[in-house]
Amino acid sequence: MTTLSKLEASLPCRSAQIGQLYNLYGHKGEPFPDSVYISGGPSVGKSIVVRTVLHELGVKYAVINLIECYTTKILFETILNKLVGLGDSRCDNMMDFVDNLRRNRAALVESVLIIDKAEKLRTMDFNLFPGFLKLKELTGGIPVSVVFLSQIILQKFYSRSSVVEPIQIHFPQYSKDELLEILSSDIDYARTAVTNAFHFDSNFYQNYLNAFLSVFYRHCRDLSELRYVARTNFLNYCQPILRNENTVEDSMALWRKVAPFLKQALQNLYLRVSSPQLPDNLAQNLELPFYAKYLLIAAYLASYNPAKDDKRLFMKYHGRKTKTMRDVKRKNKVTEQLNTLLGPKPFSFDRLLAIFYSIVDDKVGFNNNLLVQVSSLVELQLLSSLSDGSTLDGAKYKCNVNFDFIQMVAKMVGFNIRKYLSDFSHM
Amino acid sequence: MSSTVSVSKGVFVFKNGAKAASKSARKKKKATESLFCDSLWYKTYKTLWNSVETKIQELNNDMFSSVLSNLVDCIKNSYANPVSEIPAVALLTGINMPDHSAQFKTLKQEIKRTITPHLCTLSGEDCHNLKYLVETMIHQLVKNEDVMDEEDESDSDTPRIKKSQCNFSLLQYWYEELYLNKSQKLSPSKKIIVVIIPHFENFSPKVLQDFILIASSYINILPFVFVFGVATSLSVVHRSLPYHVSSKINIQVFHSFPSTVYLNNVLENILFSRDCPFHLGGKVFNLFRDIFLFYDLSVSGFIQNFKYAMLEHFSYGNAMALCQKKHVKQIIEDFTHDDLENVRQIMSFRKLVESEEPENRIRLLTDDTYFKNVLRREIKKIMSYLPNLHLFLRCLHVLVHDLPKAPLGKQVRELYAVAVSKNITTTQEYKECFQLLSFQSKEELTKKIVRVKELIVNNFEQSHLDYEVEGILVNEFDKFMTQLDNLELVEDKKEEVTQKDSLLELMNRLDLKEKLKQMSQNKPLNKYEKIRHNLLNFLSSQFEVYLVPPSNFYFHEIFFFNDMSIQSHIIGTHRTAIHTALNDPHFYLQCPCCSIPNDSVILPSMPDICIVYKLHLECGKMINLYDWLQSFLSIVDPQELDDDSKPTVDPELQARFTQAVAELEYLGFIKSSKRKTDHVTRLTWGG
Repeated sequence: MTTLSKLEASLPCRSAQIGQLYNLYGHKGEPFPDSVYISGGPSVGKSIVVRTVLHELGVKYAVINLIECYTTKILFETILNKLVGLGDSRCDNMMDFVDNLRRNRAALVESVLIIDKAEKLRTMDFNLFPGFLKLKELTGGIPVSVVFLSQIILQKFYSRSSVVEPIQIHFPQYSKDELLEILSSDIDYARTAVTNAFHFDSNFYQNYLNAFLSVFYRHCRDLSELRYVARTNFLNYCQPILRNENTVEDSMALWRKVAPFLKQALQNLYLRVSSPQLPDNLAQNLELPFYAKYLLIAAYLASYNPAKDDKRLFMKYHGRKTKTMRDVKRKNKVTEQLNTLLGPKPFSFDRLLAIFYSIVDDKVGFNNNLLVQVSSLVELQLLSSLSDGSTLDGAKYKCNVNFDFIQMVAKMVGFNIRKYLSDFSHM
Repeated sequence: MSSTVSVSKGVFVFKNGAKAASKSARKKKKATESLFCDSLWYKTYKTLWNSVETKIQELNNDMFSSVLSNLVDCIKNSYANPVSEIPAVALLTGINMPDHSAQFKTLKQEIKRTITPHLCTLSGEDCHNLKYLVETMIHQLVKNEDVMDEEDESDSDTPRIKKSQCNFSLLQYWYEELYLNKSQKLSPSKKIIVVIIPHFENFSPKVLQDFILIASSYINILPFVFVFGVATSLSVVHRSLPYHVSSKINIQVFHSFPSTVYLNNVLENILFSRDCPFHLGGKVFNLFRDIFLFYDLSVSGFIQNFKYAMLEHFSYGNAMALCQKKHVKQIIEDFTHDDLENVRQIMSFRKLVESEEPENRIRLLTDDTYFKNVLRREIKKIMSYLPNLHLFLRCLHVLVHDLPKAPLGKQVRELYAVAVSKNITTTQEYKECFQLLSFQSKEELTKKIVRVKELIVNNFEQSHLDYEVEGILVNEFDKFMTQLDNLELVEDKKEEVTQKDSLLELMNRLDLKEKLKQMSQNKPLNKYEKIRHNLLNFLSSQFEVYLVPPSNFYFHEIFFFNDMSIQSHIIGTHRTAIHTALNDPHFYLQCPCCSIPNDSVILPSMPDICIVYKLHLECGKMINLYDWLQSFLSIVDPQELDDDSKPTVDPELQARFTQAVAELEYLGFIKSSKRKTDHVTRLTWGG
């Protein structure tokens, strides 16, 4: 059992899964299972465990990443290339594939095919998943085993055609203690990070990780992300020691000093931006031509005002509106009715232009430069076009920016947007 | 990998075709050149435009170079340390994409030159799905390598790779072939692969996500670096990439200049300098500036407009050949009689004639040699005026740009717009500025004076200031400076004392009030205030001398282009154009048959669609097709309609009518109505 214990030592907290895999592939002379389905969330160690186990056992295996295989042809050819070594095969469909496998029977004995990101199979050809499940059967008994690595459970694959049930192994999420255990194996990296300016023991590092996890565990279970953030923030944790303000033992003081850094890092979780950036405000940084700003405001107004209010809001002599009981009630109604809190509504191009011309003070020529602005706003994803390019008249758009943004833009051009929003106009 | 040889044919044909096309294009160019290339004005235009263009190019490179060098360094060092994410660079470019194509071009050249030959550019249009993206990218990378290896060899021998064969395993194979075989050691000679995505917003995020995931799975084998050109802000990148993707790339952010800064630089360094004798007049300049600020923020658009104005200006005739710096004398010597006539047609020549004595008038009009002399004299005046105009505008800018509320504007261009359209020293804003200046403290004023002096001294050689004038100016400034410096030493208590005495001898309250009021108004100036007053007066007098509007000079039209008729060419208005075409076809067709005295006239000789269009303008919201047909017939075929006995219409005419109506519907002017039979709805109103 030396290989097993060695594996368990190198991959902590996964002994149950390693044991299962070992039972399936570890016994020499026994036939491999047809297919194994491994499920579990992101970065819970699926790939590494399977690869390491198979590697240690000396089993021949090939890993296929399905994202890369955007066509079935590429999928088959990659498999043949990696598993059999056929560099120049042409393989368009399952039949060809099976045929190719049969012809290379000798090279395939006792090999394992690992299909990573197997959830992609659901959107690929219908026969792929059943085909891979029954690969041994289809190829006339070639002892090749298929391992699926997927982030979703097997039940999501069920379709009307009954499939053979593969052996399932589930990788659960790491608990806090397990995360702590795995992260603390990172201590060597931490030691090199402080360049041995001072010496610390594992207890010190555990303290750091405890503090670190107390902030991050609620927000993120992704091991690789946690490790990355833990590494980047470790130097911050050590700063007081390097500056000789605190000693290694002074864990409470260190915790108090690192807490703000961790809170800051929480904001940038998953965003690997190297240069420390000011929180960049799109509305302030965006440079738009003057009329484009007004067009954007008009688009916002068109998106968030009901069309029936247009007359009241934008025309000078719109006539007196008789107050009904309903209006009074509606006014009293609270925020859930506010249009600005509901999503943007589509509006037609004509309406956009009409509102634009009524809110711009000076006389604007109706020319191509103006019209081009609309499409450049669409290009910048500030508006989104809802109709396809083929319809010439009645193109529909939607405004993608939020109220804070548009308020900022309106402020820059000196325009009181609240006056023209039916949500606020009665205030 | 089996690479087929047969494909090479296709490539071969394409390449030849491209060459042929370019050749024919060149020929065509020659043909068009031969039309004008002999004429004097075209030569002048050509040299001037070339110099402006190269300067803009240089400026562009200069401005971009600081960002560029940082960026290139960043890319170069991206794989210096082992990485766990793909290094990426986000270049925040600002919204005007076309302007930045030049920047990306320089970036590409720079990367190719210093870092790596493996470079590809992806645009959103080519990459609708992952397949296209990967194929385009790998094809670019692999093909590029071939071109590098054997540039001039005939391509038929080298095995070509089909686009459909391109996938990541091919790329990996190719890359390993390139670097593993040549040197067994891996890291040092390995060159990184740069993928540039100039328009990030244009890219489908889903495709990009998948691509990044794939690339990150190859990170140990293929060293990718991404360059994103982001138009809006970095949050777009974060918005379009979900967590599991964004944690795969490590983004460095670089900012490039906002386009207003770029425009100001172009204007101040190139267009408003003595190197460019061609000037935009106030109105045209304001038009271009409005297009820039209000519509597109595109510097390249501005430059194109400028070029158009230049073309329009020079195509006036040989008179415009004088619009240059050096060989004016020579050119005037060489002018033929026709050229001089061309000059005589300039508007301000009339003023010149009117200002002369009667006997000189005739000589001006008839005697070519006399006219040449006058012309030389007047041109010289303008030539010495122009550099001074720019110099003193800059001095004025230094003085007024940071005044509260900046009455004259904060930029040189704003001052320029005023100065070339009217006399800037007489404007209200100018007076306001000097009033504000007269409140400034000593420190502020001193700083400004020093800068103005520097400007004058530095630009002295370039401008046409006389030695004496320059000397006087500098002397004056020195004098004021020393006076200001010595100010602390001199105490001025004396005057205050004398003033206080007069207060004592007072009669009644009313008098006292009056007196106090008076005293507060003409409070005696202290020493500093006196100096400041003198200084400002001196400055103002200088500005009055040099900042006169160009229209004061004769033949200013040669140097200033102020023709607003180009507006319709610069700003496209498709609706007006269509309306004009349909309403008055003569405007475009220039045929003798269709010219009409006013808009309401309809002639049978017009194209059918025009007749139908003009008739429909007279209708209300709903148009009865039968009535429409009748009026159409009454115009096309007046005799036929007269006898009511004939119930049927000529089928040919009816077909023509139907076709015209269909065309109008296609253009979007009418739409068939479901509410009323035989009616169509009119969709446009007004011109």
